[in-house]
Amino acid sequence: MVLFLLSAGLSLIFGVMNILNFAHATFWLLAGYITVTIYNYLLGYFEPGFYLLIPAVVAATAIMIIVGLVVERFLIRRMYNRDLAEQLLLTFALVLILGDVIKLIWGVENRHIFVPVTPVEAFGAFINPYYFFLIGAGLAVAIGLWLFLHRTKYGKIVRAAVYSREMVSALGIRIPLIYAGVFAAGIGIAAFAAGIFSPLLPMALGVDIDLIIQCFAVVVIGGFGSILGTFVASLLVGIVYSFSILLWPDGAVAVIFLIVIAVLVWRPWGLFGTELRS
Amino acid sequence: MTGNIDVSATSVLSQNTFARAYRRYGLSGVVAAVLAVGFLLAPLIPGQFWIYVATEILILGLFAMSFNMLHGYMGQISFGHAAFFGLGAYATGLLMRFFRPSGGEIGYLEFFLSLLAAPPVAAMGALVISIFCVRLTGIYFAILTLAFGELLYYIVFSWYSFTKGDDGVQGLLPPPFFQDPVNFYYFTFAVVLAAMFLMWRILESPFGYTLRTLRDNQRRAAFLGINVRLHMSAHFVIAGAFAGIAGALWGPFQRSIAPGLLGWQESGIAVFMALIGGSKFFIGPMVGSTVYTFLQAFVTIYTVYWPLTIGLVIMMIVLFAPGGILGLVEDLLKRIGKAGAAATKQGDTANQDRTAP
Repeated sequence: MVLFLLSAGLSLIFGVMNILNFAHATFWLLAGYITVTIYNYLLGYFEPGFYLLIPAVVAATAIMIIVGLVVERFLIRRMYNRDLAEQLLLTFALVLILGDVIKLIWGVENRHIFVPVTPVEAFGAFINPYYFFLIGAGLAVAIGLWLFLHRTKYGKIVRAAVYSREMVSALGIRIPLIYAGVFAAGIGIAAFAAGIFSPLLPMALGVDIDLIIQCFAVVVIGGFGSILGTFVASLLVGIVYSFSILLWPDGAVAVIFLIVIAVLVWRPWGLFGTELRS
Repeated sequence: MTGNIDVSATSVLSQNTFARAYRRYGLSGVVAAVLAVGFLLAPLIPGQFWIYVATEILILGLFAMSFNMLHGYMGQISFGHAAFFGLGAYATGLLMRFFRPSGGEIGYLEFFLSLLAAPPVAAMGALVISIFCVRLTGIYFAILTLAFGELLYYIVFSWYSFTKGDDGVQGLLPPPFFQDPVNFYYFTFAVVLAAMFLMWRILESPFGYTLRTLRDNQRRAAFLGINVRLHMSAHFVIAGAFAGIAGALWGPFQRSIAPGLLGWQESGIAVFMALIGGSKFFIGPMVGSTVYTFLQAFVTIYTVYWPLTIGLVIMMIVLFAPGGILGLVEDLLKRIGKAGAAATKQGDTANQDRTAP
C-alpha cells in the first residue's frame, strides 16, 4: 500500500507535468519524520493512542502540501522547458539536500538513527486491526483519486492535461495552477502515506533511496498517469516480490527489474497507460 | 559543438597563444591543455592525500566523459551507466582474484591482463543492453538504462559465490611498481590521456558527426538513410567500453570493489560531473570531475554534510548556469569579445582586420 500511495503521486506528477520526481520518496521520508515529531510532542500532553495519530497525520500532510507548493513555485516551475537531464538533476539534488536536512534536524550523530514511533502498548492487541485500517485507507485514496479524476470537472481537466497540455491551455485553463495543484497533491498523498504508516515502518535515512526505485518500477509497469495501472502494478510488484523471496531470496528485486525491462521493451507506455504521449 | 568558435570572442585575445589554440581547437582544447599541464604537475603538491584525489579525479572524469559520449553527443541520458563502470571494475577485480585467490600483490603480466579484460566485458554488457535500449529515447531510455543498471547491481549484490556480494572484493594489490601512489597516478594519467585521445578521434570522425545528427533530429537522420538503431547501439557499446576502462583502474586504485559501483547513485555522479562541467564540451565532464572531487575532498574534511553541499551546488548550476562551468566561461568570453568588437568599431579602422580573422 505504501508503494501504491507513493507511486500514485509520482505517476500523477509525471503524467501531468512530465517531470520525473526523484525526490518523491524523500518528501515521503520528511513527512514521516514530521509526523513522528508532532506525535511525540503531543504525547507530552495526552495519553498515547491511535486518535493522537490523526492530528499528527493531518498536520504533517498540511505542512508537506505547503512545502510541495513552495518547491513547485520556486524550483520545479523553472524546469518545465528545460532538458530532461536538468529536470532529473534538480530533483536528484533535492534528494541529497532533503536527506541532509533530515539528518541535520533529526539525527546528527548517527546516520542510521531509528525513531521509535509508537510504543507497543499504544496499540497493543490492536496491531492487527491497524493493518486493515491501512488497507482501507489505501483503497479509499485509490477510489477517491479515481472518482476525482473521472467524475469531477477538475479531474477531467487534469486528465486532459495528461494528453495535451497545449490544447488545455488553449481552452483558457491556467496550466501553471494545475501543475502546482498536482505537484502539491502528489506530495500530500505521499505525506499521508508516511503518516499512517509511521507506526509500522521506522523512518530511517536512506530508506527513500530504495523506495523511489521500487516506485519507478511500479509507475513504469502500470503506465504513467494511470491510477488503475499504478494500483494493479503495486499489487503485482508486491506479490511478485513476496513469491520470489520464497523461491529465490537474493534475486527478488532483480525479478522486479526484469518485469520493468520487459514492460519497457514491449509496451513503453505501461500496462494500463496509453500510447498517446509516448 | 566544440568546433564552433565565436569569431568575436577571439578578437581581443588574438595576439596570444591561448587565443590561437582557442580558435583552432575550441574552448575544450585550451581547457584540456591547461588541465593536462595541471595534472602533470599535480604530484608536486605535498601530501599523499592530494595524489589520491587527483587519481580519483582522472578515473571518475573518464567515467563521466564516457557518459557524456551518450548525453552530449547522442542526446540520450543513461541513468545506468555505472553498470559498465562496475562491470569493468569487477572484470579486473575478479581476474586479479583468480590469479591470486588469497589476495595480495600480483605479477605485472597478470595485472595488465586483468586490466585489459575490463573494456571487452563492459562492452559485451553494453551490447546486450543496447539491443533493448536503442528502441527508446528520452525519458524511457533513461528509465530503461536505470532498470538494467539496477538489475545488474542486484545480480552482483546477490551472487555471493561469484562476486562476494555486498562484502565486495578486497585486497586488490597491484604489482610493486604501481603500489606507489605517484607511479599509479602517472599510470592512470597515461591511460586516461590515451583513452581521451581515442574518444576524441571517435567523436570527431564521420561516425561522431552522424551521432550529432541523431541527437539533433533523429527522424531526419533516418530519412537520410542512416541506420539509427545500429549507430546508437554501436555508440552505446563504445561508451560502455570507455566506462569499463575507468572501472578497471578503480579496483587497483581503491584496493577493493563493491556492488555500489553499479548502482544508480554512481550513475548519478557521472550525470552530475557532466552537467557541472558542461555537457556541450568534450572536456566538460573532466572539468566537472575536477570540481566535484576536489570539492568533495575539501568539504568532507570539515563537515559530514557533503550531500547537502553538492545538492546545493547542482541546484545552482541547473538554475543559473545550465551550460555548466565551461558554458559560463564561454558566455564570458563572448561578452568580452563583443565588448572588444564594439571598442574596435569605435576606434580607428586600422584595427579592423583583427575583428575579422
